[in-house]
Amino acid sequence: MVADQISLSMTINGRARRGVAEPRLTLADFLREQAQCTGVHLGCEHGVCGSCTVLMDGEAVRSCLLFAVQADGADITTVEGLAPDEETLHPVQEAFRDCHGLQCGFCTPGFIVSVTAFLEANPDPSDEEIRHGIAGNLCRCTGYQGIVAATRQAAAAMKGSGQS
Amino acid sequence: MSTAAARYVGQSVKRLEDPRLVTGHGRYVDDIMLPGMLHVAFGRSDLARATITHLDTSAAEALDGVHAVFTGADLNSHNDSLRASLHPPESPAPPANMLADGDVRFVGDPYVMVVAESRYIAEDALELVDVEFEPLDPVVDYETAAESDNHVHPELGGNLAHDLPVPNPAQQEVFENAAHIITETWHQHRQTNVPMETRGIVASWQPHAGVMEVWASTQSPHEMQLVGARVLGIGEHKMVVHFGDVGGGFGQKMFLGREDMAVLVAAKLLASPVKWIEDRRENLLASNHARIEQMTVSMAVDEDGNFLAADLDQLEDDGAYPLGGPATPGAMATMLYPGPYRMGPVSWRARTVYTNTCGRGAYRGPWQMESVAREQMIDRVAREIGIDPLELRRRNVLKPEDLPYQVSTGLFYETTISPEQTLEQAAEMIGYDDFRAEQAKAREEGRYLGLGMALYIEPTSMGMGPLGTESAMLRVEVDGHVNVFMGTGSHGQSLETTIAQLVADELGVRPDDVTLHQGHGSGYGFGTGGSRSAVIAGSAARAAASGVREKVVAIAAHLMEASADDLEVADGVISVKGTPAASMTMAQVAATAYQNSDALPPGTEAGLEHTARYKAPPTTHSNACHICTCEIDPGTGKVTLLRYVVSEDCGVLINPMVVDGQIAGGVVQGIGGVLYEHCVYDESGNPLASTFLDYLVPTAAEVPDLETGHVVVPSDTPGGHKGTGEGGAIGAPPAVFNAVADALAPFGVYPNRQPLDPNAVLSLIASASDS
Amino acid sequence: MADVVGLLGEHGDDAKPLAGGQSLVPMLAMRLTRFEHIVDLNKVEELFGVTADNGGVRIGAMTRQAAVETDATVAERVPLLHLATPHIGHFQIRNRGTIGGSVAHADPASEYPAVMLALDGVAEVASASGTREVPAAEFFESTFMTAVAPDELLTALRFPAWEQPAGFAFDEIARRSGDFALAGVAVGIGTDGGGRINRAAVGMLGVGPTPLRASSVEAALTGLAVADADPAEIGRLAADDMNPIGDVHASADYRRRAGSTLVGRVLADALSQLTQEANGG
Repeated sequence: MVADQISLSMTINGRARRGVAEPRLTLADFLREQAQCTGVHLGCEHGVCGSCTVLMDGEAVRSCLLFAVQADGADITTVEGLAPDEETLHPVQEAFRDCHGLQCGFCTPGFIVSVTAFLEANPDPSDEEIRHGIAGNLCRCTGYQGIVAATRQAAAAMKGSGQS
Repeated sequence: MSTAAARYVGQSVKRLEDPRLVTGHGRYVDDIMLPGMLHVAFGRSDLARATITHLDTSAAEALDGVHAVFTGADLNSHNDSLRASLHPPESPAPPANMLADGDVRFVGDPYVMVVAESRYIAEDALELVDVEFEPLDPVVDYETAAESDNHVHPELGGNLAHDLPVPNPAQQEVFENAAHIITETWHQHRQTNVPMETRGIVASWQPHAGVMEVWASTQSPHEMQLVGARVLGIGEHKMVVHFGDVGGGFGQKMFLGREDMAVLVAAKLLASPVKWIEDRRENLLASNHARIEQMTVSMAVDEDGNFLAADLDQLEDDGAYPLGGPATPGAMATMLYPGPYRMGPVSWRARTVYTNTCGRGAYRGPWQMESVAREQMIDRVAREIGIDPLELRRRNVLKPEDLPYQVSTGLFYETTISPEQTLEQAAEMIGYDDFRAEQAKAREEGRYLGLGMALYIEPTSMGMGPLGTESAMLRVEVDGHVNVFMGTGSHGQSLETTIAQLVADELGVRPDDVTLHQGHGSGYGFGTGGSRSAVIAGSAARAAASGVREKVVAIAAHLMEASADDLEVADGVISVKGTPAASMTMAQVAATAYQNSDALPPGTEAGLEHTARYKAPPTTHSNACHICTCEIDPGTGKVTLLRYVVSEDCGVLINPMVVDGQIAGGVVQGIGGVLYEHCVYDESGNPLASTFLDYLVPTAAEVPDLETGHVVVPSDTPGGHKGTGEGGAIGAPPAVFNAVADALAPFGVYPNRQPLDPNAVLSLIASASDS
Repeated sequence: MADVVGLLGEHGDDAKPLAGGQSLVPMLAMRLTRFEHIVDLNKVEELFGVTADNGGVRIGAMTRQAAVETDATVAERVPLLHLATPHIGHFQIRNRGTIGGSVAHADPASEYPAVMLALDGVAEVASASGTREVPAAEFFESTFMTAVAPDELLTALRFPAWEQPAGFAFDEIARRSGDFALAGVAVGIGTDGGGRINRAAVGMLGVGPTPLRASSVEAALTGLAVADADPAEIGRLAADDMNPIGDVHASADYRRRAGSTLVGRVLADALSQLTQEANGG
């Protein structure tokens, strides 16, 4: 049942990476196990919870619903690739911390990647737009109160700094 | 010497956990990758009840990459030692095993375990297991389970797990003369915890050393250590449990699952590191379910609406293998039924039955049926006798002058509860009278608004048995940093921050100067669950910090040639009051304590460390009132929540942001339970909600903004805190239920069961127009 | 593309084309289905893109739902597609999910099949032996089953233009934001320019084994003056056009009752656009 391994290369958080994968290996498993991006979390492996969300060529996608071989040549950003340096958080990360947008932290990487992409497309969202915009990610701890507030704060911060 | 002033307690200090978690650098169990690590997949039954007539694993074993295939016959040799610590050996229990052997008893029952080089290969091998079943008639309906001739556990000779009748002749006397007796049966339905991180464990056996090293997604590293050691037949000191980040639990990770035990045994047999990460289907089908219960309530009320007496009959479904042992929350639910009211004498009976379904387990406020049944019943009584539900509660609620209060069921309320205050604060926040006016106007326009409330008292930080204590070992290191070692298992509760706040104030440092260490190396504690960490663990941390502070001050006074009484300690600096220039740092004191002990005051023990253990009083009660409003679309049955307010009293708040977060999370779980979530089984015991497409956890789009108000009546425990982890999930279900029932009142219907999904709501409306 | 249809022709039932993967990959991950060969369409460039076509549009099967959502030509010429797209899952899903994948998967509760049926869309299908066109009315055979044979590939969808004044509306009832619909409705109503309805297209989702047209509703509307149409009453007729089944989310009876209420509401929305137009709004 073990299929041939296929060589592939992609850019992950700004660094070129090479690897091998059998065709059925998901992008999420590849990122976690071969690229040390363990911030990519698996909460359902059927495309609903959003914990595994990454940016592929700038767009938010579920990495559990892609095969690693499909990302050959792609530019991938995971939650580990958002902060500019070790001393500084990305405005979305900062906002999640400020607004208590996380408790156990398991869904958080997917939320932060999704919110980053969402604000890229909607720099000035209403609360209603925020609630529907983040509805593709599930959180079981926060009741979303802090996450909505964090998205609001991050929108303001990114507009202020011209990041979006 | 006085205690340091509160500088950090009461502040919404940003969480110390967050920098790693928001950047993807948390370390959860699935992030543990060890050389030579093997992966587990369990083969699980597709039938609710069946005999295994044939089981051949040879083809699976022959697959490349497979290291072992275990069946029940291989693993179930430790059967007497699988009990959870909370579950006394003399109490009744279903037969214990790790893997089903000979027959299967629910869909999801594991009967085979493959250990292979990858999860992919392990699952490939499962498809090669040759198994045949002979189906048997399953016991699915818990209402009739006790009478069924089909037995979930043939060894027990029946399906009744518990039957606890507590009649009270005084109640019967009151009933004979009461103006009103109102009766209803309230139903909750099967739900599950759904932590976003499923269960999981990595176990690594060190041969010859005889040490089992474990990383686990657990709420209680010491439960893992104690029970794991027992399962393996090794000393507790040989069971090393590391505690990393844990992605939620809500009760599901208090106890070891059968799968956790199987992984421990397999790791020892194979002498290789073994990892099992539950997948979501397994989590929804076979971790634990909860809230499968009903309570028939009769209440006697006088002409003025005063509660006189109650008679309760509780029935709960334990499933096949209840997680942590067959529980008796039913007994607790009936005992707690009087809640924050003068209720009069109460008779009760609580029963639990086994069925061929996923086992029951603890889920945030496991006994909350008391609040569900009582608060829904009070709204029903209000409607039957024509009194406004807020007014009815006002007439019966316990007032400050009633305290302390002895409840007829045996509970005792201390003077530090505040149900009346939270009721009034919540009513004020929602604008009760204005809403009633708005509702009346809307009804004239054919719009259906509703308001529901729930008032409750929550027993937190229970002080009995293994739950009663926690310890803190606190050490100021040579560089002045503070390490605290505790038996807790923070999995979202923010203990790394709140414990640091407590220690910071008590010791006189900054929260950043304090690091909490859990798991291996800490003293025994039951872990995090049961709304107990703030009071019990917090008090231990406070006491340990206080012990060290005394030493710090004594040493500094000696070195600075000042009187200890003249010193203050704040933000890591010890200074002479009024003379800030005369000061030294915590690091200087520590360096002296460890590296220059000859300079210490005569008779002073070298080093800067102290261990304290706190024993909690029997119960520390918190209380809260929830009120929400909703609108129902009579064309589609959809319920939209409009506003949601909570007034709560958890005593002194350590970190208001964290308290509000705990409440919000619990509330949304309660909203999910009433409106969205349902573990549906069909008549043959087949679970129909096995993915996140069918088990509907609310998203941000389904929940309103939450407004929280705080009443602060300090408890009598050292910091004045009360537990608050579970409350949100206790108050929300009856509040939401009552709001929907209120909105539907114009149709003349009386809902008595959840979920109130669009289908149920439209059926209720249709039943009104059809009749 | 010749390679793709070659592979499908060679492997038949053993091969499955992979479009956005938002439905297929979960089924593979849960081992509910398996194929010896998965043929990835994601690098087949000629399957992507929206082009103007005779007043209508032609949309390559691999065009992402997110691209359909934001495409100006689609918004102008096929407003129903534009209105329906945000109801599909969430934006992360629409970033990968494709219009062709959605139509070929033929989930009766999904949005595009109902829109395609309502608007008399046409599917372009290719195989090693050539290409053919399948009108929407013949495309959806039963639940998850279409007229596309195992050795064929859905390559594009065509949506003809509506020349007359028209109102379009779409809505659905879902348990949560982004969930599959319990019931949904796509409505197009066209007039003769004088306020009389001369074309009614009503597609329904979630209320039968395939997407369905509400023929009774369409018949009742056609010929009526916009001002005389009572949407709630006409919407009730849709119950007879439905053939729902129950599942864990809602019973058949619910889908019929709530679905026909929804038809009335969506009709009202479409009609109000025509009224506004007539009033110069």
